[in-house]
Amino acid sequence: MDLSSPTLEDLALAGDSVHVPDDVFSVLVKKLFDGINDGNERNISFLSENDRYKNVDKAAVKQAYGGLVTMVTEAAKNDMEIESLSSLLEDCKFSGDRIAALSKAFLQHKPQIQILLNSIGNPPPHIVDIDWRLDYYIKNNHMDKVNEPVYLVSLKTEEAGKPGLQEVQLSCSLEQLQDLVGKLKDATKCLEKDGTVIIYTFQLFNTIFDEYEVPRIAVSLHGQNGAYIDIKTHIFNT
Amino acid sequence: MLLMLEEQHKKHLSFLTSVEIDVVREFCRISIEFIRKGANPKVYQGASQKLGVSVETVQNGVEGLMYLLTESSKLMVNEIDFQDSIMTLGFSEGLRQELLELYVQSRHEVRCILSEMAMDLPHYHNLEWRFDVEVASRSLRHQTTPKILLKLHTEDSGKKEVKVLQTDPVNLVHLTNVLDGALQEMKSAYCRRIVRNIK
Repeated sequence: MDLSSPTLEDLALAGDSVHVPDDVFSVLVKKLFDGINDGNERNISFLSENDRYKNVDKAAVKQAYGGLVTMVTEAAKNDMEIESLSSLLEDCKFSGDRIAALSKAFLQHKPQIQILLNSIGNPPPHIVDIDWRLDYYIKNNHMDKVNEPVYLVSLKTEEAGKPGLQEVQLSCSLEQLQDLVGKLKDATKCLEKDGTVIIYTFQLFNTIFDEYEVPRIAVSLHGQNGAYIDIKTHIFNT
Repeated sequence: MLLMLEEQHKKHLSFLTSVEIDVVREFCRISIEFIRKGANPKVYQGASQKLGVSVETVQNGVEGLMYLLTESSKLMVNEIDFQDSIMTLGFSEGLRQELLELYVQSRHEVRCILSEMAMDLPHYHNLEWRFDVEVASRSLRHQTTPKILLKLHTEDSGKKEVKVLQTDPVNLVHLTNVLDGALQEMKSAYCRRIVRNIK
């Protein structure tokens, strides 16, 4: 993981007990993770709310805060080991106590931060639920005795940048729904059989590739033909 | 169920009793043609000159036949009821048989045409799927996030639309189970009873 020199300077400030006293540091670490998880907590107003901190150099704490946020998100992004994190912090003149406190908090919050990082992007609407209604279509203004079942299906989706759930609505005749369910079952089966194997192989590949710094690969298993597996190499890390 | 023919409709059709059966056949052919492709007024002119009657009479005759066919197809009148319904028109036995044959032959097609006119909702057309594993993104390296990309083709009054959606394995299984449950519902005793009673 490479951090820019201004970030390293900010980090060094966070490790410096002259600019950031120990009691401020411990609050800062807590605020740091709160701020990553919740946009409303992204400030260092605790310094002005308590008279205890009135002699603290606010500009320095702000700088240190910025450096710590960058470091923590970068470390989560690269899934950094605690050892390399410690050595990085040591280089920035952090004391043993501060390294231990930060590492502990980092480990504790890492999964949550990675979930947040994973949600960044602009993927297609993500289906999270489904509603259906069964109607028996009897007649319309042009025709009597239509007499066939109609399913009204509503897919609930989560979309990037839109609050709450969105809906995709469609109707299906009995045959169409049978077709739809058949295809979904195919997809589910493929996940059960090949999917777990592939994901497992992947994790294995990625560990090997990490060692040799080989470009990562992407696999896609195409529908319709079920077993057809397509392996492409993509350079994700350039 | 019998067809209730209006007086005016009967009057329009009564013209057919006064012409040769071959002419009626021709009228029937034209009616079906018009139901399929829409009316063509030029045909009325030609026929009226040939038969020596007014254009209006020819038009009323053809439109009367078209209405008779669409109404009886709309209501899915059965063969006996169809025959009984046209009894009041004073047609000869041969003409009635001719009309019945025409009705039975074209019933299915006319219903297809009528069903195209009925209001349509966006309905399912096709689904394509693909299983991907996301291994890295700009904001998060070292991940193995399984994703199912779905391409949903829908159709609304002949207009095709494609939506790309995605989901994760847990939701895919949930989705499949819920929709499978929906399918099973149609086989339930309750639904079967409803279907049996609405006939």
